[in-house]
Amino acid sequence: MRVISTHFGDPLQRRLGTYVERGGYEALKKAFSMGPDEVVETVKASGLRGRGGAGFPTGVKWSFMPKEATKPHYLLCNADESEPGTFKDRELMRWDPHQLIEGCLIAAYAIRAKHAYIYCRGEFFETNQVVARAVEDAYEKGYAGEDIFGSGNDIAVTVHQGAGAYICGEETGLMNSLEGRRGEPRVKPPFPAAVGVFGMPSTINNVETLAAVPHIVNNGEEWYRQWGTESSPGTKLFCVSGHINKPGNYELPLGFPLSELIDDVCGGIRNGNGLKAVIPGGSSVAILNSEEARRCRLDYEGCIDVGTMLGCASVIVMDDTTDIVKQVRRMVDFYAHESCGQCTPCREGSAWAAQIMKRIEIGEGTVEDLDTLMEVTEQMVGTTICVLSDSVAPPVQSSIQKFRADYLALISEQESAGAT
Amino acid sequence: MSDIPFSNPGWAGNTGEFDLTEKEVRGDDFVGDRPKDGGHPSGAGTMPYMLVDKDPDAPLFEGEYRQRFEKILTRYPDKRAALLPVLSLAQELRGHVSAESMDEVAGLLELSPAYVRGVTTFYTMYNKRAVGRYLVQVCTNISCNLCGADEVLQAFLRYTDAEMGETSKDGNFTVIEAECLAACGFPTCVQINSRYYENVTPADVAQIIEHLKPEGES
Repeated sequence: MRVISTHFGDPLQRRLGTYVERGGYEALKKAFSMGPDEVVETVKASGLRGRGGAGFPTGVKWSFMPKEATKPHYLLCNADESEPGTFKDRELMRWDPHQLIEGCLIAAYAIRAKHAYIYCRGEFFETNQVVARAVEDAYEKGYAGEDIFGSGNDIAVTVHQGAGAYICGEETGLMNSLEGRRGEPRVKPPFPAAVGVFGMPSTINNVETLAAVPHIVNNGEEWYRQWGTESSPGTKLFCVSGHINKPGNYELPLGFPLSELIDDVCGGIRNGNGLKAVIPGGSSVAILNSEEARRCRLDYEGCIDVGTMLGCASVIVMDDTTDIVKQVRRMVDFYAHESCGQCTPCREGSAWAAQIMKRIEIGEGTVEDLDTLMEVTEQMVGTTICVLSDSVAPPVQSSIQKFRADYLALISEQESAGAT
Repeated sequence: MSDIPFSNPGWAGNTGEFDLTEKEVRGDDFVGDRPKDGGHPSGAGTMPYMLVDKDPDAPLFEGEYRQRFEKILTRYPDKRAALLPVLSLAQELRGHVSAESMDEVAGLLELSPAYVRGVTTFYTMYNKRAVGRYLVQVCTNISCNLCGADEVLQAFLRYTDAEMGETSKDGNFTVIEAECLAACGFPTCVQINSRYYENVTPADVAQIIEHLKPEGES
């Protein structure tokens, strides 16, 4: 079942003419006839939740924007996809750029913004060209810019390229980066709906969220609610990677069982190996062991039930040959590299955790190091401006709790070597 | 550049519904032919990440690059916001962003040199020193790592005869380790200048290097 990924793999979909023939930009026309508040209500009623990781209800977020645009409002599309394990936004942009642009235009209209910025990850040079060309085509045919379809609505769309920094995927880090500053997250409050980019009310949504908006506006909230669960309605792209026979993006209803995704949809684990661990939501969430993975349902609540989070639904599968310590060390290295350095717990904690992990990996760790890791990561939770710091704790802590034997094996090798 | 063999012409999860050529997958109709003056201002900032032939002394900015610079300025309510795209434009021309380039950009945007240096050094995509004709960035983050990225990285170092982070003697290649490139379904992903190479195995590396060597374009 495919809603936003229907045209993945069809090169014709990139062309404005084809997109329009297939019913594209009808939702934008409909939105203009509904009025901004009704669009917000429809999206709110659909239960669409932000697909960037936090899962905040999109319509509710939009409703925080001032009802009168006394100052310029801005819509920001977060296309700075960089969570390890996530590769959905690039596919959405390069296969169906107009779907995203239409979503941006509808969202901008709903929040009374006259300018939408698509903040694209800098590394996506090829993808960004596809989007830029699509935006240009939209301008040329009057689907973007001034007086769209003669409706009197002006909405500019700009493709902005980042320059390489994971932290710019954090909403206020992205805003600073768009303003030409270091991409350091800001203290909230004030929240973006009050003081966002350029000091103006702003709303920021993920690519996948905005891609779903035209479909919801076209078909109504009940239609969208036919999939998923009561609290997590709709469909979601699951990015499956790692030791899996058929890696890829699979659009499925929320609430889909993780075991079925791995065994049936993705053709099982490579070489017929056993399952050791799964990360269901990108590198920032707790690792599941095989038993927890068997009973995990893939929606926001189902993941919390087994002690992890859905995040952006980036399912990383690890078979029984995996060196967990090495992989966790690699993830911690990533956070140490990407920490913006503003907050001490994050800057120091991630760097020290990375050093300790390395020490354990090369066989020079001690049992006390595990306690130190737990303590250091514990102090990184809830003590900083943004949640990058909080993201270091789940992989480290869950791996020590669930795969302690793997750590101890490396440590005891060292200790027995020291004894001889 | 074309006809690099790559083993999965499609998106990860290809259902076999479409019979796709590499050009169709990559969107060659759209990629690589952006006008030098940037076209419509909305997309004037999208540009090659790096050109193969760099000119460290190229002026900032003249001719079509000047037009692109002017168009970028129109897109934001203030000049500061143009800083990232303008630094990228400088890098596209010169191959890296030296301290002198940072100062020149500061002058163009009426920002202090210290501020521009602070911003430039925050972002990994600005090369603070000269790199080879091809900057090879191998993703070694978790999904690629599970599928053998470390071996791919070693193969690139071996075939280019370069030290990690240094440029090979012939000036052609600089190989570095990269963080997740968001192509986790196509491990290992390698970015070479502006282009992604996907599903790269150690066995593919020699062929990719040989293919790049004689060519003069990005």
